[in-house]
Amino acid sequence: MRRGRGLERLIVATVAFDLLFLALPTLVIILASFTAGRIVAFPPEGFSLRWYQAILEKRAFVDAFARSAYVATVCTLISLPAGTLAALALARWRLRHALAWQLYLLLPFTIPLVVSGLGMMLLFGRMGLLGMLWPVGLALTVINLPFMIWGVAACVNRLDPDLENAAANLGAPPLHAFVTVTLPAVMPGIVTGGLLMFILAFNEFIVSLMLVDARTVTLPVLMYNSIRSTITPDLAALSVIYILVAAVTVWLLDRLVGLETFLRSR
Amino acid sequence: MKSCRADIGAGGGRADRPVGLRLLDLAERLRAGLFPARFSVWTPYLYLLPATLITGILAIGLVEMAETSLHVLNRATFRLDPAYTTANYTAVFAKPVYLHIMLKTGLAALLVTGFTLLLAFPYAYHLVRTPHHRLRRFLLIALFLPFLLGQVIRAYGWLIVLGKQGLLNAALELIGLGPVSLIYTYSGVVLGLVQYMLPFAVLLLAPALTAIPHEVELASHSLGATPWRTFRHIVLPLARPGLVAAGVVVFTLTVTDFAMPEIMGGGANDFIANAIYDAFFQLSDAGMGAALGIVLTVFASLIVAVAFLLVGVAALGHGAQQKPRVRP
Repeated sequence: MRRGRGLERLIVATVAFDLLFLALPTLVIILASFTAGRIVAFPPEGFSLRWYQAILEKRAFVDAFARSAYVATVCTLISLPAGTLAALALARWRLRHALAWQLYLLLPFTIPLVVSGLGMMLLFGRMGLLGMLWPVGLALTVINLPFMIWGVAACVNRLDPDLENAAANLGAPPLHAFVTVTLPAVMPGIVTGGLLMFILAFNEFIVSLMLVDARTVTLPVLMYNSIRSTITPDLAALSVIYILVAAVTVWLLDRLVGLETFLRSR
Repeated sequence: MKSCRADIGAGGGRADRPVGLRLLDLAERLRAGLFPARFSVWTPYLYLLPATLITGILAIGLVEMAETSLHVLNRATFRLDPAYTTANYTAVFAKPVYLHIMLKTGLAALLVTGFTLLLAFPYAYHLVRTPHHRLRRFLLIALFLPFLLGQVIRAYGWLIVLGKQGLLNAALELIGLGPVSLIYTYSGVVLGLVQYMLPFAVLLLAPALTAIPHEVELASHSLGATPWRTFRHIVLPLARPGLVAAGVVVFTLTVTDFAMPEIMGGGANDFIANAIYDAFFQLSDAGMGAALGIVLTVFASLIVAVAFLLVGVAALGHGAQQKPRVRP
């Protein structure tokens, strides 16, 4: 019994360290955003909201924020039907060459993001689509679609196929059965996938870097461009917006599907 | 719904159907016209069509990269030579610069994978096994919040922590230790990446640990095994699929990473992805960049393939039998 204490202590100590390690950048950003000074320094000089005011007054930041929201919306709207249908197809039918389909749809995860971004840059350039914003949303769908499929697939596998058979037996034509039985059954997965798609696109940096120009720059790319010169507190205030968006998403995930879902054995 | 019904009024029995269902009837008739029942064998493929087309964009992009990689830069015109050649690939493996970057990237990926798994395993274990509901929720929230923050934000946070006037140096100064510079160093990049990968690893490990019945551990314990032995001979072997999945995901994500070395490395600690980017935009040698990109793609795919062989496809893919444990 006595010797067991060591292991338990080691686990608890690691968890405590992890908690600090995970939270540190977030906490420091929040702290830095309220400084009254002109640079980020510790301890911060006084307390003020001046940097929040500064980002609201800076047109470039507000525009980039709106573009990021637009791109994330486009990405989510395309992913929702495409990912849901693909997940249903993969999980409910015995497809021929099912393995090949799965590998093909996992392509976005096996190709490095840099390569995906450059490849789409070349392709979009050839098609004259560079410099527009909606293709960026489409590109973010392309690289993150497996998340949407994964979210729904995790639900589909729990869906009882007898429910759909029962609906058909009771006379529901295919579309009715789909809308009134299938969709509600996999709704938690659709919600999870949709939320993930939105927040991933809202945060996406590397592929966007290849596809945007000065007129279509999105917020993470603009932040990256600003970080390179000096560390100013206005970026901390901008980052707090991201932290808030992440917090709202966590809250929504918890309310709508429950965070414990992610621990379930698969 | 009620007001709708009142509007329809004299429509007979059908009018009792709520408006939503009546719209659905209409859509159903449209579907029956466009896609009659005898086509139903094609339904799964129709379902797969949008995702297939979307992923196709990536496939075409990859072909574009492969095509570009077969042209060398003409130094006189600074355009790609139209003739096909494999010279870029030869150059990738012949240039010491690129070999050096590849080795540095590979070493960083090994370090990040090792540290991340060491830190993630206890977290995942505690998350799954703790009897306290509140604590589990807290651990989950603490995990998800950084998980949903992009790399730029997190790298910026680390710049504030590790910078010259950052938190770390302020703390060191208090206890009388001189300023250390972790910013723009290799260690800084590894540190930032471990923090970035930790939630991925925990979220891949936790379901694998949930699958281990607690009774097995209790049995081992009641048969006289110490917790250490139970951990080594029961928990670790049973968690292997989860460890392999998490390890592969962390390793491939690190090997292909761009943002952390770019922001935390300050230009002196480039990974392969940064070299690809620089070849395209600084050297204007798209052919060389594309060749490096294809090499990286093949390497990353090989790692995933080996993992498939180790733990089976179902653990990594969108399996119908087993739930997916995919590479994010």
